[in-house]
Amino acid sequence: MDWWALNYGGNMSLLKDLFFYQGNKWWKIPETTELSENPKNEHPFGGFLEKAKNILLILSSGKGHAGPVYYWIIAAILGIITLIEVWWFTVPELRYMLAPAMLIFSIIKFALVVAFFMHLRFDHKMFSTIFITCMVVGILFFSVFLLLSAFHGLGT
Amino acid sequence: MSTNVTIQHGEEINNSTGVSAKKLLMWTFLGSDVMFFGTFIATFMAYRNKSLVGPYPEDTLNIPITSVSTFVLLMSSLGIVLALHYLKEARMGLAKFWLLMVIIMGIGFIGFQIYEFSHFANMGMTPQVNLFGSTFFTLTSLHGAHVSLGILWLIFLLINEYRGNLNSENAIDLEIAGLYWHFVDIVWIVIFALLYLITANDGVPPGGIPWIGGH
Amino acid sequence: MSTISKPKQFQLPRIFPRPKSHKGLWYWLATVDHKKIGTMYGLVAFFWFLVGGIEALLIRLQLGQAESSILSPEVYNQMFTMHGTTMVFLVVMPLSAAFFNWIVPLQIGARDVAFPRLNALSLWVFIFGSILMNISWFVGGAPNGGWFGYPPNSSLGFNPGHGITYWVMGLNILGVASIAAGLNFIVTIINMRAPGMHMMRMPVFTWMTLITSVLIVLALPILAVAGIQLTADRIYGTNFFNSEAGGDPIFWQHIFWLFGHPEVYILILPAMGIVSEVLPTFSRKPLFGYTAIVFAGLVIGFLGWFVWSHHMFTVGLGPAANTAFTVTTMLIAIPTGVKIFNWISTLWGGSIKLNTSMLFSIGFIAMFTIGGLSGVTHAASPSDTQQQDTYYVVAHFHYVLFGGSIFAIFSGIYYWWPKFTGWLLDEKLGKISFILMFIGFNLQFGPMHWVGLNGMPRRIYTYAEDMGWEGSNLAATIGGFIIAVSVLVFLANVILSKRNKQNSGGDPWDARTLEWSISSPPPHYNFVEIPKVNNIDDWWYRKYPELLEGNNQNFKKQKIEVEDSSNVDESKIHLPDLSYYPLIIGIGLTIAGLGVMYTYALVAIGLIMVFWGSIGWSTEPVNEDSKEHH
Repeated sequence: MDWWALNYGGNMSLLKDLFFYQGNKWWKIPETTELSENPKNEHPFGGFLEKAKNILLILSSGKGHAGPVYYWIIAAILGIITLIEVWWFTVPELRYMLAPAMLIFSIIKFALVVAFFMHLRFDHKMFSTIFITCMVVGILFFSVFLLLSAFHGLGT
Repeated sequence: MSTNVTIQHGEEINNSTGVSAKKLLMWTFLGSDVMFFGTFIATFMAYRNKSLVGPYPEDTLNIPITSVSTFVLLMSSLGIVLALHYLKEARMGLAKFWLLMVIIMGIGFIGFQIYEFSHFANMGMTPQVNLFGSTFFTLTSLHGAHVSLGILWLIFLLINEYRGNLNSENAIDLEIAGLYWHFVDIVWIVIFALLYLITANDGVPPGGIPWIGGH
Repeated sequence: MSTISKPKQFQLPRIFPRPKSHKGLWYWLATVDHKKIGTMYGLVAFFWFLVGGIEALLIRLQLGQAESSILSPEVYNQMFTMHGTTMVFLVVMPLSAAFFNWIVPLQIGARDVAFPRLNALSLWVFIFGSILMNISWFVGGAPNGGWFGYPPNSSLGFNPGHGITYWVMGLNILGVASIAAGLNFIVTIINMRAPGMHMMRMPVFTWMTLITSVLIVLALPILAVAGIQLTADRIYGTNFFNSEAGGDPIFWQHIFWLFGHPEVYILILPAMGIVSEVLPTFSRKPLFGYTAIVFAGLVIGFLGWFVWSHHMFTVGLGPAANTAFTVTTMLIAIPTGVKIFNWISTLWGGSIKLNTSMLFSIGFIAMFTIGGLSGVTHAASPSDTQQQDTYYVVAHFHYVLFGGSIFAIFSGIYYWWPKFTGWLLDEKLGKISFILMFIGFNLQFGPMHWVGLNGMPRRIYTYAEDMGWEGSNLAATIGGFIIAVSVLVFLANVILSKRNKQNSGGDPWDARTLEWSISSPPPHYNFVEIPKVNNIDDWWYRKYPELLEGNNQNFKKQKIEVEDSSNVDESKIHLPDLSYYPLIIGIGLTIAGLGVMYTYALVAIGLIMVFWGSIGWSTEPVNEDSKEHH
């Protein structure tokens, strides 16, 4: 089924309302009397997100028929991110924000491998549900746990 | 359904969701493994910077070596999707080649890890010496155990490929092994960021660390 | 499925021939039939139930009088540790697993679980793991650190010897068994449902099995990590819980209860499932609020992850953490209350048949409610500071685990016994055993509430004469022996009922779910024809279709009978062949576990056996006569 029809076919969920742009949908700006369309490229980041999304759509279209070239591209991105990580580590001036940067980079790499190499992007939704549920429970759980150990005795 | 339906077990059966039972098992197992590694990583993070005596992470961790081994493991992930892709297309030569490459890269990664462990032991960092040693060695060695198990599994599949038992029809067997391999890879992605890059920066003075030169 | 002939499959040369005959010891060792596996789970777990019960009786004997000396303090510590560990890991979990194995494939209309050999592996790993843990009695003392094994009490400095190491290795091996079983049941329930059985048409017991399995799969790895860390501390001298090197013993408490609290729901959710099957059957009404009960189960399963620190209110986590965990813990009362009220509403207005199974279920509701209410009192962290480590807590968790889980399990045993065996248990003896158990249970654990509030501490082998606790403790001891008599009555019931068999037929209770639509005991392929499901309680509405049209006046006559499996061409039903490799892997894993404590030679032998078993497993065909392979 056509992706656009799927997402913009009239049955917008709250989640999609919040996260996909079509006309006046990005930030749920209250409709005005003019009901004017948002001008083109007036999305956040000047249309960059829109373009990036389109590239991703082209890349990831099809049901698991992605070819080797496509895997090489993902691998190249992974390699480049790893290089950036190591480079970031060696630059003393960037050290002060090393931890958040590394976390973000590793999340990106994680997501790329899971979504594309492990085919979660194309596979049955149930697999995503299972894995994401485990990740969410795990992350929530261990965050609470780390908070507890970091703030042991808070308020005493 | 007619009477006397034939059912094969542990096989690709017609079932209520239409997905392969083996693949479902593997994904569920990976979800379980998330908690396993999650607990170890949480232990590591909770004990970060709590070692009372040295050697400390910034003295021991060797980022260049680990970067290479990380890269090797990442590329083995690429290898296995390619092996699976060619296996599904029944291009057996390429499929065997990439599977072999994955195994070699996996063994290479284990080699780096053995080198790293012995290097650490020479520097006096052992699991017994401080908290960093305890948490670091248990986590990385259990990850190494996962990789080794994966290598054995892939060797078994490669032998099957050479004997003609693994072909495009039962590519699912390689696919679930691949899922496992990718999972081991993503765990390493997290370990590399948390245990190596972030931890090696702990307690480092603004001037930088010895092997880079610094200011 | 494709039938293209494949190249000749490589097979590991066999040391033993693959068993063929469906009789004898060899069959039981190599079986992959979920019903046989369930039976073995049940028998082994019941054996451990008796062992754990004897341990409990010895504890009660010791506490029956002030300053008695039947058990020395050392032996007393071993007794309560092994009593707790046995009852949690070797009794309630595997008894639930016995029901999962027996009932779930029948309830969802499947011929077996998704991975029959993996199922056999869980069984054998469980059996050998339980033996491993109990070997410790004979080699220098059983574990004595409590079922939670807090360091530094359980670390090498304070607890030399192999007791605790046996405990940890045993738990890790049992964990492997539980995780394998959990994975298997998740896949089975998601993937093997009969056509038409949506998730929201599944029987509640199957639902609770699914939620329990998810909890097992997510919680047991955490215990495995805790076990690995404690083992490493004890054997390799790492510093996880060694405060001299900066390690934090509180950390063990966190990790243990991170696992331990979901574990509580692993123990109670199957019991809730059993009760949700028994009550509607004997009230002859549909379960009240099916959806609410299912969602309450899901909510319990989720919230159960975020309450663990209520076991640690007195550790000093600080008011912020204590308040947060008080709130989340009290939130659990909401879904639990939803369930309780739904069960009561199921009874309301039904034509109730008070047989043994129903009595145990109603007993479950009452006892579980009492246990739940006392639970709310120590969910509040200020009052928990008073109750921590007293007999009040002991009373609480016995009301939910014995009055809850064990009552429900007995209810399930009486309910499904005719399905297991084809004959009924005697009702008169059954009712006697229920009444004895009910009286004995309340006599044993009721007084613990007030001696606990009066300050009697847990895990202390005796108490002084002038504390005023003697009467209550004596009552508790008498209660304990009444429970023992009730269990003996149950065993006598089984033996006597077996002697003068009263044939049950396929559907003795006029029940609701699919397992009753086939003959008892079920043929090894379960369903002659895989059913097509149109409703919740499909079997009930197939029997009485007029109920669907709103005609509930005269539905006395059944429209269909249970499936007749006497004239079935079994050659057309392919079930997996027997396999002894799960047994070999189970033995190998246990030997390796033993070797970690003593010598690496044993580890090597164990791992070689595991390797041999796995290669044999993955190269043997599922069916010898077909070309298929695993």
